[in-house]
Amino acid sequence: MNDLRDEQTRIVITGLGAVCSAGRTADQLWTTLTRRQSGNSHKTTEVNEPGGQGTPGVADFSGGIKDFGDLPDAKRKFIRKSLKLMNRETQMGVAAGQQALSDSGVLEQYDPDRFGVCFGADNVSIMPSDFQRGVQACTSTDGNFELERWGADGLDEIAPLWILKCLPNMPACHLAIANDLRGPSNTITQRDVSANLAIAEACRSIRAGDADAMLVGGTGTTLTPFNHMHARMEDEVHDNDAICRPFDRRRGGSASGEGAGAVILEEMHSALRRNAHIYGEVLGAASASFIGTAGQANCRKALTVALSQVLVRAGRTPSEIGHIHAHGLGTWASDVAEAQAIRDIFGQENAQTPVVAAKSHLANSAAGAGALELIASVLAIENGHLFPILNYETPDPACPIHPVVDYDTPAGRSFLNLNMFGRGLASCVAVGAYAA
Amino acid sequence: MKRRVVITGMGCVTPIGNTTSDFETGLHSGRVGVGRLTLFDAERFPVRIAAEIRDWDVNAVARDGNRWQRCPRQTQFAIGAGLQAARQSGIDDAAIDPQRFGVYLGCGEPFEDFNAFTQCVHLSLQGDECTSSAFLDTALRVFDPDVEREFEPDLPAIHLAGLLNAQGPVANCIAACVSSTQAIGESMRMIQQGETDIMLCGGAHSTIHPFGVTGFQRLSALSQRNDDPQAAVRPFDADRDGFVIGEGAAAFIVEEREHALRRGAEILGEITGYGSSQDAFRVTDSHPEGRGTEAAIKRALASAGLNPEDIDYINAHGTGTIMNDRVETAAIKRAFGQQAYRIPVSSTKSMLGHATTACGAIELAVCVISLRTGVIPPTINHETPDADCDLDYVPYTAREVSCRHVLTNNIGFGGQNAALIVSRYDEASRGVVPSVRAA
Repeated sequence: MNDLRDEQTRIVITGLGAVCSAGRTADQLWTTLTRRQSGNSHKTTEVNEPGGQGTPGVADFSGGIKDFGDLPDAKRKFIRKSLKLMNRETQMGVAAGQQALSDSGVLEQYDPDRFGVCFGADNVSIMPSDFQRGVQACTSTDGNFELERWGADGLDEIAPLWILKCLPNMPACHLAIANDLRGPSNTITQRDVSANLAIAEACRSIRAGDADAMLVGGTGTTLTPFNHMHARMEDEVHDNDAICRPFDRRRGGSASGEGAGAVILEEMHSALRRNAHIYGEVLGAASASFIGTAGQANCRKALTVALSQVLVRAGRTPSEIGHIHAHGLGTWASDVAEAQAIRDIFGQENAQTPVVAAKSHLANSAAGAGALELIASVLAIENGHLFPILNYETPDPACPIHPVVDYDTPAGRSFLNLNMFGRGLASCVAVGAYAA
Repeated sequence: MKRRVVITGMGCVTPIGNTTSDFETGLHSGRVGVGRLTLFDAERFPVRIAAEIRDWDVNAVARDGNRWQRCPRQTQFAIGAGLQAARQSGIDDAAIDPQRFGVYLGCGEPFEDFNAFTQCVHLSLQGDECTSSAFLDTALRVFDPDVEREFEPDLPAIHLAGLLNAQGPVANCIAACVSSTQAIGESMRMIQQGETDIMLCGGAHSTIHPFGVTGFQRLSALSQRNDDPQAAVRPFDADRDGFVIGEGAAAFIVEEREHALRRGAEILGEITGYGSSQDAFRVTDSHPEGRGTEAAIKRALASAGLNPEDIDYINAHGTGTIMNDRVETAAIKRAFGQQAYRIPVSSTKSMLGHATTACGAIELAVCVISLRTGVIPPTINHETPDADCDLDYVPYTAREVSCRHVLTNNIGFGGQNAALIVSRYDEASRGVVPSVRAA
């Protein structure tokens, strides 16, 4: 351990990367969020096609090597060789991670032992396409599938490394391997709150003195078969042609999507020594739950606790927060719980704190969404202004927040990134503009 | 001054004992939990052995056991181990600030019903293609939502937080076979840094399932000794040929020392060291010299303020694969130098099989039992020396060793490594108390 650190450790953001339906880089994400448009139809793709045509996904992301940004030749070759071991969420996560690394320039000089990775990821859906040959091998000539033959005839039809594609820690592992990052490594699989939890954990590693820098992100999907099915079983999910209308009285559910975001977190002095561009500073993080002994979850209570704790840890009062990036799932219950919790903590007098919700642009990429939303808000602070909640037309008295509906609202000098999961979980990260 | 983190409750559900006292007896007597695979019809599978949990029902522990009957096995094991730990620590009766109480588990991927899955693939095949959309349409009709929605890795943590009224952070991590090791280590960090005062941590998993056997068999990772299940896991033995799939759970209540003392809890041990690392080598293989494992062990020692001389016992990952045991031995030698030959090292996977993401938590329970009983468990089936594996592996017979500091090490697919050190609780500042060893 180089030095014994404490809570005075300052942690800054020095690199950004994004892969989402609004673009394949963080710059493209910002351009799309701020491109004036009247309404939203999510960009479509058939890549994962659980619902066929009309499914919002990252249309331009094919998982080819061109999606991984500018890379030195050796690294490009290495990643290209590894692509066949990656499922789609892993490819998106690795692409976002490589972009963040390139953007920060941190790899020009670094100590591999003091550079770690912490990602948020979704459970990986077992894909029917991986099993179709095995199933066919167990099908009789008259067309009946015979399960009892699997061990003898089906099993050997599965790709030898199939199970490695099913591990949610693979984005973190591939990024560590491709870039020689030998520090702490973990992957949090806590659904929609994963990315904020990963940021909190990475900060903990840096504060503990275990690392000088962490590559942190989230990658996720609600498009693959089981992930889509589970999302529908947990929450109201739109049919594929519908749109996400966070906090709007006519909202009808969440929109399924996919995506990944990644950031570089560095101990401040380490970033200053190499004259890194600093996008912002992580001021604090907090998470809380209210699950209930018989499963009567209450997200409002959980978020209220997390909000009050994150403000204390960030040393900010509500009136000092520039804007709130809401979870904004677009379901009836989630948006009410979130808006009420914001009201509980920010009170009547601060109800003017502007609220944005990028899911109205990007749909819901579960574990990836929190990272993308954080990046969108970091770029809003960098650019000085916010972007609208798309499709917000009819105010809902049950959601007493101040939604941003234009392109000119100032972003302020700090924001809170909120994520929730309907079983009673909430997580928040506070980020501020960097000031020496 | 750093906040110290102690263990005040422990629970486990394993193939050799479904309470901590049965588990202790099993460990000390060298009970092997490997037998014929019975959880599904494996008659025509190439591998037909596993270390299964037998004769256990979640109703043995949970008041509302019926609520969990249709949940994945790992959820039931997690509830069982978690409630045991909570009861031992006495948090049911103690005044706990629920907002300072969190849950962090390393539960793995629960596998969906194989019969239903393959039927859905079959019914959705159009020619030679099974598209995701056709599969989804079928699956939404076939899978029961009330059962299917439980098949996510984070639900054991969510359920336990609800049952125990923990209102702090709730998380699950998956880092292959170091998942629960890291869940415990990160829980320690959260308490050390003042985010919480008390955490339920650990892990649960079962891959004794057609998907699990298929995946691991295709990786050539499994022992093929179908005819001699009890001899199948042979850690560090020259004739080892792979691991045996196991299952189970272990959970701990860990808390800040002053918090535990204030409420008069019995302290079972202190978690003093934690290290996490990445080989950064290959997804499929460990670094040949075990550089990541070496780093994790050294980080655990450094964070505990301990030296190699201080460690009295190492519970190895010791899966019984050719590669793991060779690489782990090399890494232990690099991390401990000459001390490596002094320290007894054993692999309890020889008895437990490989509980994948849960193994680290179960092996920490082994370490706590070693501290408290002064007996370290053996490595069963370690018979034929291997030139690459030349440490003291405590073959066959448990050994009396008075332990002050013990280390558990885990290694996972993807190059993941993590190590934990647990120490006998001593009021004095840790790391300065001289080790006491058996003569």
